[in-house]
Amino acid sequence: MRRTRTKPAQAPSGTDAVQGMGVRTRTQGQLVLRRFIRHKGAVAGMIGLGAIVLLAVTSIGAGPIPGWWPKDFSSTGTLVDGGKPTLSLLPGFLGGSGLQIGEHPFGQDNVGRDYFALTMRGTQVSLVIAFIVGIVATFVGTLVGAVAGYFRGKSEAALMRLTDLVITIPTLLFAGMVAVMAGDRGIVVLGLVLGLVTWTPTARLIRGEVLSIREKEFVIAARSFGTSARRIIVKHILPNTVGIIIVSVTLAIASAIILESALSFLGLGVQPPDTSLGRIISDYQNALTVRPWLFYWPGLFIIGIVLSVNFIGDGLRDAFDPRQNRVRD
Amino acid sequence: MLAFIARRLFVSALVFLAATAVVFVMAANVGDPLAEARQLPSGQAQEAAIAEITERMNLDEPVFVRYFRWLGSALTGDLGVNVTGQSVNAMLENAVGATLQLVLAATVLSIVVGITIGVISALRQYSGLDLSVTFAAFLFYSLPLFWVATLLKQFVAIDLNNWLADPKLALWVIGLIALFVALFCAALVVGDRRSRVTTFVVAFVAMCALLWALSETGWFADPGLGIFVISLTAVAGAIGFTTLFSGLDWHSPPMRAAMAAAIAGIASALLLDPVLRDPNLATIALLAVITAGVCFAIGWLLGGELYRRSAVQSAVFTGLFTGAVIFTDRLLQSFASYSDMKGGRPVSTIGSGTPNFQGTFWQSGLDSVGHLALPTLALMLISLATYTRYTRASMLEVMNQDYVRTARAKGLPERAVVTRHSLRNGLIPITTLTAYDIGTVMGGAVVTETVFGWRAMGRMLLDGINQGDPMPIMAFFLVAGGAIVAFNMLADIAYGFLDPRIRLS
Amino acid sequence: MSTNLEPANGSRVHAGKTLADSLPPSDEEILRVEDLTVEFPTDDGMVHAVRGVDYSVREREVLGIVGESGSGKSVSSMAIMGLLPGNARVRGSIRYRGKDLLRMREKEHRSLRGEKIAMIFQDPMTSLNPVQTIGDQLAEAVLSHHLVSRKQALTRAKEMLDLVGIPRPEARLKSYPHEFSGGMRQRVMIAMAIINDPDLIIADEPTTALDVTVQAQILEKLLEVKDEVNAAILMITHDLGVIAGMAHRVLVMYAGRPVEIGNVDVVFNQPRMPYMAGLLGSLPHLDATEHERLRPIVGTPPSLINVPPGCPFSPRCPLADDSACVTTEPELAPTDADEHYAACHHWSRLAQVDDPTAYFRAESERSR
Ligand SMILES: Nc1ncnc2c1ncn2[C@@H]1O[C@H](COP(=O)(O)OP(=O)(O)OP(=O)(O)O)[C@@H](O)[C@H]1O
Ligand SMILES: [Mg+2]
Repeated sequence: MRRTRTKPAQAPSGTDAVQGMGVRTRTQGQLVLRRFIRHKGAVAGMIGLGAIVLLAVTSIGAGPIPGWWPKDFSSTGTLVDGGKPTLSLLPGFLGGSGLQIGEHPFGQDNVGRDYFALTMRGTQVSLVIAFIVGIVATFVGTLVGAVAGYFRGKSEAALMRLTDLVITIPTLLFAGMVAVMAGDRGIVVLGLVLGLVTWTPTARLIRGEVLSIREKEFVIAARSFGTSARRIIVKHILPNTVGIIIVSVTLAIASAIILESALSFLGLGVQPPDTSLGRIISDYQNALTVRPWLFYWPGLFIIGIVLSVNFIGDGLRDAFDPRQNRVRD
Repeated sequence: MLAFIARRLFVSALVFLAATAVVFVMAANVGDPLAEARQLPSGQAQEAAIAEITERMNLDEPVFVRYFRWLGSALTGDLGVNVTGQSVNAMLENAVGATLQLVLAATVLSIVVGITIGVISALRQYSGLDLSVTFAAFLFYSLPLFWVATLLKQFVAIDLNNWLADPKLALWVIGLIALFVALFCAALVVGDRRSRVTTFVVAFVAMCALLWALSETGWFADPGLGIFVISLTAVAGAIGFTTLFSGLDWHSPPMRAAMAAAIAGIASALLLDPVLRDPNLATIALLAVITAGVCFAIGWLLGGELYRRSAVQSAVFTGLFTGAVIFTDRLLQSFASYSDMKGGRPVSTIGSGTPNFQGTFWQSGLDSVGHLALPTLALMLISLATYTRYTRASMLEVMNQDYVRTARAKGLPERAVVTRHSLRNGLIPITTLTAYDIGTVMGGAVVTETVFGWRAMGRMLLDGINQGDPMPIMAFFLVAGGAIVAFNMLADIAYGFLDPRIRLS
Repeated sequence: MSTNLEPANGSRVHAGKTLADSLPPSDEEILRVEDLTVEFPTDDGMVHAVRGVDYSVREREVLGIVGESGSGKSVSSMAIMGLLPGNARVRGSIRYRGKDLLRMREKEHRSLRGEKIAMIFQDPMTSLNPVQTIGDQLAEAVLSHHLVSRKQALTRAKEMLDLVGIPRPEARLKSYPHEFSGGMRQRVMIAMAIINDPDLIIADEPTTALDVTVQAQILEKLLEVKDEVNAAILMITHDLGVIAGMAHRVLVMYAGRPVEIGNVDVVFNQPRMPYMAGLLGSLPHLDATEHERLRPIVGTPPSLINVPPGCPFSPRCPLADDSACVTTEPELAPTDADEHYAACHHWSRLAQVDDPTAYFRAESERSR
């Protein structure tokens, strides 16, 4: 990546200021987009996540809208070939049974439920929860971080102590308790409460960023004009933290998927009749030796989602802050 | 500095106190402790049961009163009773050892391994090794712990045990392992393509020969190092540490000191045989302290005025390293007998230790290792990825700093530039990371213990949450939250020591 | 002569020690750079940062290097130090006392670095390791080249701190960089550069990051210590006043190439390359009547990725008129003065006029 030179022009009376350099001017947004698109991992992550979301939403449909997959995730049926997956990606000449989807691509469980439909359902639920958690955690974290970073003194101290307090409680314990309290009020409530206990990393990130921005000239200038604190935060500071906020959304979503699935695995998260990827794994973990596919599919989907989101986050971070790639002078 | 630590201690204590209140209030509302009693057929028995539990847990009092009651007795060391009247102190006593062992092992290993890999990866930025490490870190970071743990338990443990029944390596396995080792070695070498290729070939051939010999002689069934390999490793360690600390020079005082330390170590391996047959932990610790002391003296004497510092460093590291090799050798020697005791299936999948295990120090050591290995491995992966990524990023950032360029401009050898300038600065932010990570590991331990069926703190916590039983939850929190607070404080203090800019404010 | 050699600020740098007071250069050449090229492969293509640089430095001489930002000054000096990033492709030769630095083994090059050839960097705030004491960092420079005890190295460090004018050097050895001001840190950097009695000190904009009053002190100090250790200085700067005040000769760089080199008085009074004339013309006149405008050179230097054929300065040059300027890149060639070389097809036209900067005035005024 080429470095843009930002060194201030020096001394002899304006010579340099005008000579300048032939830096191509691009808007910040264009630069970010360009860097993002160049990041191979990020593009792969976008494609991966897009494909998973698309598959999960269109296959079994959402709410009243039907999808293209004919089978239902809850109705049982007769076992075909012991419930083995019929999906085959290996062409015939390589010893596989050709490219085909078949009757039950991901197989069936012991009572004949279609495992593809079930996995898709779990994916939908996990994604919904993760997005809610990501948004709530980022919102709360940004609020706390921005206020704590901007105001010195009492409010900063109070908010940082609050953050310290939440950090003191292990996330799994905190999340486990609120999840159990949320009980069977549904996945939206579960997402909300999980978001309310996982905002601390975001708060720390944002606070650090805001602390450095508030010392920049334009903020000091605005303050000296007597601009109100609220206005400075909204007009000056938040726009400059957009990058890090977007990055922390991705981080929050990735860890939310992991957290939700771990909770559901422990029996503290999503409650039946709802299901999620973690819940499915938990339900079928004892089938691992007889029906290994019941164990693999949901796990692979969790990995696929989290890996994609993490790659996207990495690409975004590089795009917004290419500092790490700077070359030595 | 002292005032800083005292203030930090005070604030942490207050925050922790507030957190206990929050957790207690939540724990008291997390479920209905009477649920089970209500299931009983209504009548006298049910009423009596309900009354008993209400009485035991003071359910008729407001939650704040209960909190202060708990706080009062907790401060005197009494953690109360759970819903069935069992003493939580007793439950905790049984549970805490195994969990802390797991958490500590996973944390220490991920820190050491993660930092090492991260540093190497940063030093070889954009190499094949770096790319694979970066990708692997991403992958590990995205793995659901319970899923990996289940896989490890189901497949690795069983397959490993099956393999150990007749431990022969197939040729292609030998080739594959040797390939990986050789690639890794080649990536470590500084220099042009030719020296890398040479390293690769040498490492590959040597590794193949070694593995083949080990496999053919049935070494894996009855392993051990023997005095020859111990000596060889000790001398190699001496050379390695000296090269790291002061550069490769056969006649330099640091090299002499390290060699002397290695020889002293080998000699004591022979002389101390009776002591090492069945020692206890205190003996081992004492030996470690003596080793460090003796090696310090060796370094001090042989270093002379000009080389004292690096001679002491090389000697002490070599001595401790040799000690570790001897320790490993002893463990390995006991493997065959331990395997017999376990009916030929030494890698365990259930529980945190064999119940009522009787054996020598080494056999019980192996028993712990056999039970801890897989859970630790599972629990490590995520932290390992975190440490690797952060270390790599931090090192890359530091290596681009002006002061590293200054260090090079002084004419320092690259080794010194890295160890004295990049590494020291690059590792400062990692101290903070340990504080964040410990909470995650504590949570991960609950999951791991569940998968491996340990009756430890994870079980205690989950039972507490499921039964709406606050006392075990609080006991869990005292340990886990306490660890988090302690790590945070240690990290802050370490930061203050490492970074003089913080020290003043 | 209408070109004023005394720019508005930073000019009176030599209130104390001046170049005239210091020892004169000898005839012995210590550094000879020949046909040095440096290229960096990047995503956008090959960056030709340095495209054939030749110059030499004599014992005790101060050679100034000026040139626009991005003209390759830092890159060429980092090539001498051997500190370019690994992806840089370096060709040509750099001879230090006859030995080619580019062809010696890394170990040998390292033994010269910091010992015979030292460097002072632009930003003293970031050039010192924040977590090591000043004493340790200075002593390290001694220890990496000499077999002495730490104590002796620290004694040497103390002497050097004293020499560069840091009060209470003994106590300051235990300080950390953040306890020092910018000026003091740059003094420490100078101390570090001279601690092993080098032959050559490369100073890459040593005062750019400092405020004007401190700049003067630092430069003065540099001249002073140069005689103390008998070193030559390669002085990279944007400040023509500094060059005028403290360099024997000056090298002007443009788009990765040297375009003019000669004795300072000669180059400043009779520039034979329009770029240098333009630089001189853009300085404010002290005797300026009313509100005379500054006359900067308009336009920007060419891209270093696709360097167009012809003279790289031609798009901005008032003299560029015929086809030679756009087809062939001029070589550095002798001009009317002794030891004065310029790379311009039309240097003789500059020689014909009384005030070469006048061309520029005409050009810039026309462009308004
Ligand atoms: N590592 C690198 N990779 C790619 N291009 C580089 C690298 N280092 C320098 N360059 C390019 O080489 C050219 C010359 O840079 P150099 O730093 O030598 O300029 P300079 O004359 O010192 O400028 P300044 O006065 O701003 O210090 C610039 O165009 C710069 O962008
Ligand atoms: Mg420069």
